[in-house]
Amino acid sequence: MELYLEITSIWGVYLGIAVFIVGMAWRAYQWATTPRSPVALGMFPKPATGAGRFTKMLKDTFIAPQSAKIEPVMWAFAFLFHIAALAAFVGHLRLVQEFTPLKDMLGTQGMNEFAAWAGGIAGTIMMVAVIFWILRRTFGPYKQLSVPEDYLLLFLLLGVIIMGNHMRFFGIVHSETYMEWFRSLMVFKPEIPAEILATTTGWSLGTHMLFTTLFLIYFPFSKLTHAMGAFAANMTRSE
Amino acid sequence: MEKVTVDTMVGVLDKRMHRQLKQYLDICARCAICKDACHQYVGTGDFKYLPARRAELIRQVYKKYFTKTGQFVPALYEARDPDDNLLQELYESTYGCTGCRRCMYFCPFSIDTAWIAAVAKGMLIAAGHGNEMLGQLADAAIFKGDSPEMFHDVLVEGFKGIEAELRDETGDDTIEVPVDVKGAEMLYVGLAGSHTIKPAARIFHAAGQSWTLSLYEAANYGLFFGDGEKAKKIAKRFIDEAVELGVKEVVITECGHAYRVAKIFYESWAGEKLPFKVSHILDVIDRFMAEGRLELKPGAIAEPITYHDPCQVGRNGGLYEAPRRIVTAIAADFRDLTPNRAEQWCCGGGGGLVALTDMNDMRLKSGAKKVEQIRATGATVIASPCENCRLQMEDLVNEYDLDLKVMAVMDLVVEAMD
Repeated sequence: MELYLEITSIWGVYLGIAVFIVGMAWRAYQWATTPRSPVALGMFPKPATGAGRFTKMLKDTFIAPQSAKIEPVMWAFAFLFHIAALAAFVGHLRLVQEFTPLKDMLGTQGMNEFAAWAGGIAGTIMMVAVIFWILRRTFGPYKQLSVPEDYLLLFLLLGVIIMGNHMRFFGIVHSETYMEWFRSLMVFKPEIPAEILATTTGWSLGTHMLFTTLFLIYFPFSKLTHAMGAFAANMTRSE
Repeated sequence: MEKVTVDTMVGVLDKRMHRQLKQYLDICARCAICKDACHQYVGTGDFKYLPARRAELIRQVYKKYFTKTGQFVPALYEARDPDDNLLQELYESTYGCTGCRRCMYFCPFSIDTAWIAAVAKGMLIAAGHGNEMLGQLADAAIFKGDSPEMFHDVLVEGFKGIEAELRDETGDDTIEVPVDVKGAEMLYVGLAGSHTIKPAARIFHAAGQSWTLSLYEAANYGLFFGDGEKAKKIAKRFIDEAVELGVKEVVITECGHAYRVAKIFYESWAGEKLPFKVSHILDVIDRFMAEGRLELKPGAIAEPITYHDPCQVGRNGGLYEAPRRIVTAIAADFRDLTPNRAEQWCCGGGGGLVALTDMNDMRLKSGAKKVEQIRATGATVIASPCENCRLQMEDLVNEYDLDLKVMAVMDLVVEAMD
């Protein structure tokens, strides 16, 4: 297990983050250096001012009201998934820096309970959404339209989420231990805490990180670049 | 398929690879939210008309030739060379596209599928698979612009004939169809035939507007064909004419795509600022009404009437309210379609489709949503400021057995003038 964790939860993390950052920067560079269409591609109605158009772009990107209107169920899953993913991401920032004010307010016990609930809900929502998307791609026009990339991404995501949930719901190791592990990575003195090695949680963490690493590595070369591109494309809509 | 053909198609894609196109091709999540936005997919249930699918064909070629991952693991993206199957489907799905951009409206990333289709048409043309009919119509229009001496006198004679008819019909000997008038305020660009000229002449006359009629028609088959150069040349005919005559405003008749070409596209195609304003005729009529220059009888149109926003005038041209102000001013019983304005269903006739007989069957099926909308209003008259919309809706009247009169807004205005 030590080797498995070393690969997935030490070197994998470094590799994943590096490829993600360089890849996304490369993608942004490619877009930035391709000349814009000389023709205005916007549609109406569009706000008259630059500030108005920018606000509309943010609304179109974060809320997508038009998509909500035409396919509310799909929209709801997408919206909840993204909110939950954001919440999960923010929650993971504890690994970098403990949310001290919140912890002082809630107390150690309260903080752990809060994290358990928030993380549990976010993880469950994401899992349900990903399963919904996988099922949706198994029939009719959705299946016809799907390419292997779509299934690969959903599969990787499902792996990340299920293993995350496994640690959340069945794990016996507490956040302090994960913090110890992650902070050792941050100071480039990577170490797997003995507590993780001593329990089966090690397998959960290793597998969670295996999927995460693969997901991060593939992210910049996939349709997930919509994380950046949606802003640009929705801006084009109002130009 | 021969390598040279593949290379040519890829070359066209490369030449037209702009930032937005690259983003569209990179980020589409294939979520298929666009599925129910497309009147053709909804009307036919045919997968090739699903907007994301139309773009996906180009994406497959893009992945193969423009991305490292697509070259490394093509199977992941179904990346491939263009082949005969791809060309055939691409032909049907892109020349089949009306360019209404309703899918773009509902897309969470606002992906402009119609623009991807326009690039695809460029690739088809390069491969020798452009639509012949549209290409010929475009060439004929360009030929007319290149040799005005051959056409000028015949055209002017025709316009004088229209003027004589108008004087007969109205009993007013002062009505004019002026041509080649230097220093006129407005250049009005109509369509082939007298039906767009007569009502405009009467309206300009009633409003006391200084105007002159363009020798050229507004319609632009170059745009439908998918050849930007041809489209520019066709529009340039009346743009040059306007510059030469020194008009202050170019007024496009009730035609959707011509309005978008003149209003939105032309300046960026030509890379220059036009020395005059470009307006839609309904904008001008709305102005006349606001200025009190046009007396119209309120309630002159007694039958229940509805209004269809042409995609290129509404969603893609920005004109929603002026036409409604005109229609509601003269209609006793106006009933708007649902949905309307930006969410208006395309009638199915745009993109040059009414000229493509090989797509008749699909075109008529794709009008199902429009028919449903019209029926729901109970209106017996529909007004729409676009020739392609009107031709399509007339076909829908026959196909779906509707009790409906299809009219241009100008014709209603003239009725309310009498």
